[in-house]
Amino acid sequence: MSVQASEREQTACLQCDLLLPRPTIAPGERAVCPRCGAHLAAVPRDGLLRSFAFCSSAVILLGIAVSFPFLSMKVGGLENVMTLPESGIELYRHGMVALSFVVMASILLIPTAILGLVLALVGQLMRGRPAPWLAPAARLIFGLGTWSMVEVFVIGVIVSLVKLASMADVVLGISFWSYAVFSLCLTAALSSLDRDYIWREIERVQTRAT
Amino acid sequence: VTAFPAESAAAHGIAVCHTCCKLSPASAHRCSRCEAPVHLRQTDSLHRTLALVITACILYIPANVLPIMTTDQLGQSIDSTIIGGVILLWNLGSYPVASVIFIASVVVPLGKLTALILLCWSVGRGQQAGARERTVAYRVTEFVGRWSMIDVFVVAILVSLIQLGGLLVIRPGSAALAFCGVVIVTMVAAESFDPRLIWDRLGPRPEPAAKTFGARSRRDADG
Repeated sequence: MSVQASEREQTACLQCDLLLPRPTIAPGERAVCPRCGAHLAAVPRDGLLRSFAFCSSAVILLGIAVSFPFLSMKVGGLENVMTLPESGIELYRHGMVALSFVVMASILLIPTAILGLVLALVGQLMRGRPAPWLAPAARLIFGLGTWSMVEVFVIGVIVSLVKLASMADVVLGISFWSYAVFSLCLTAALSSLDRDYIWREIERVQTRAT
Repeated sequence: VTAFPAESAAAHGIAVCHTCCKLSPASAHRCSRCEAPVHLRQTDSLHRTLALVITACILYIPANVLPIMTTDQLGQSIDSTIIGGVILLWNLGSYPVASVIFIASVVVPLGKLTALILLCWSVGRGQQAGARERTVAYRVTEFVGRWSMIDVFVVAILVSLIQLGGLLVIRPGSAALAFCGVVIVTMVAAESFDPRLIWDRLGPRPEPAAKTFGARSRRDADG
């Protein structure tokens, strides 16, 4: 964290509105507000490459997670196998339309949308080509971020396993493991995607063209 | 009109964009880089936050009173509430999981609501002490909110996995919907609270203002 003035350029803390000279940040460093401690900006060590790599693995893992059995359980000779999308669909069958929508959105739809948007955005930025959709895509990524609850769902699965342990034999499918690793990849991809850095990259790419 | 502390961007007529961090003149309506709307402060932050907090408090009642799920086992139906589930797990000896659910479903939502009420109250009465601590408390509140969804996901998983005809079936209860509402509404409430208001109350520092007696003057930074 180095807070040196880089000629007359200023920045303001999002959480306490302190106006301060823009810190010069080396790759791998992160600047925080001297007054309230909020994150100001960071420059990832490997630039955009790390987010791209994590997202690419996340796509493959998500593919596996959707197409194989997630959990299965056995009680006295009866067996039931559940896939990942079914965790939302089954609620819909019980008449809980809104709840089913929230669950589907927070564990599948929003994460998938973020993944696609990050891949497209970062890919385009790495090629250095301007496009009219860069800004809307970045706005969506940062706006949807908190509503993707992939890692919360993984903890939910673990809690359910313990709840069921006394009732039935539960087997974790391939899909569960890949979803768990997917949640790690997505979190890593998003955490190496710094808001300030991405928008400066977008600005750089867009202005280079004109 | 409104007095901002001298060191704040707002006092210099600068608004920072919350989407892309770019600084714009306060007169701009949209950010020149990302086209998101820019404001000096979030509009009606305190009122909106309080309204959402009250909504969440109301929703929290059915979330705890109604059953979150119903287990049909061999013709017998058993309703379970959030607290009932925690107690059951605790009695079964699953202390870590019981604690996880208790923290996620009781401590976090109630703590969040209390924190937001206290934050709004401290800003409303113009408290100056502990601004940094309150900002940190706000950040924790914002970060921790989504983890309350654990219980809703547990219901979703149990409902889709435990479907064995007449032998053993788990059905979702209305509390799941109410509780999901609590989580979403508190997340929106946390987003609508503007932590910069905490710092605005520190006032323009180098101002040897004449003391006024009588009615306490309130700044309308949030209105």
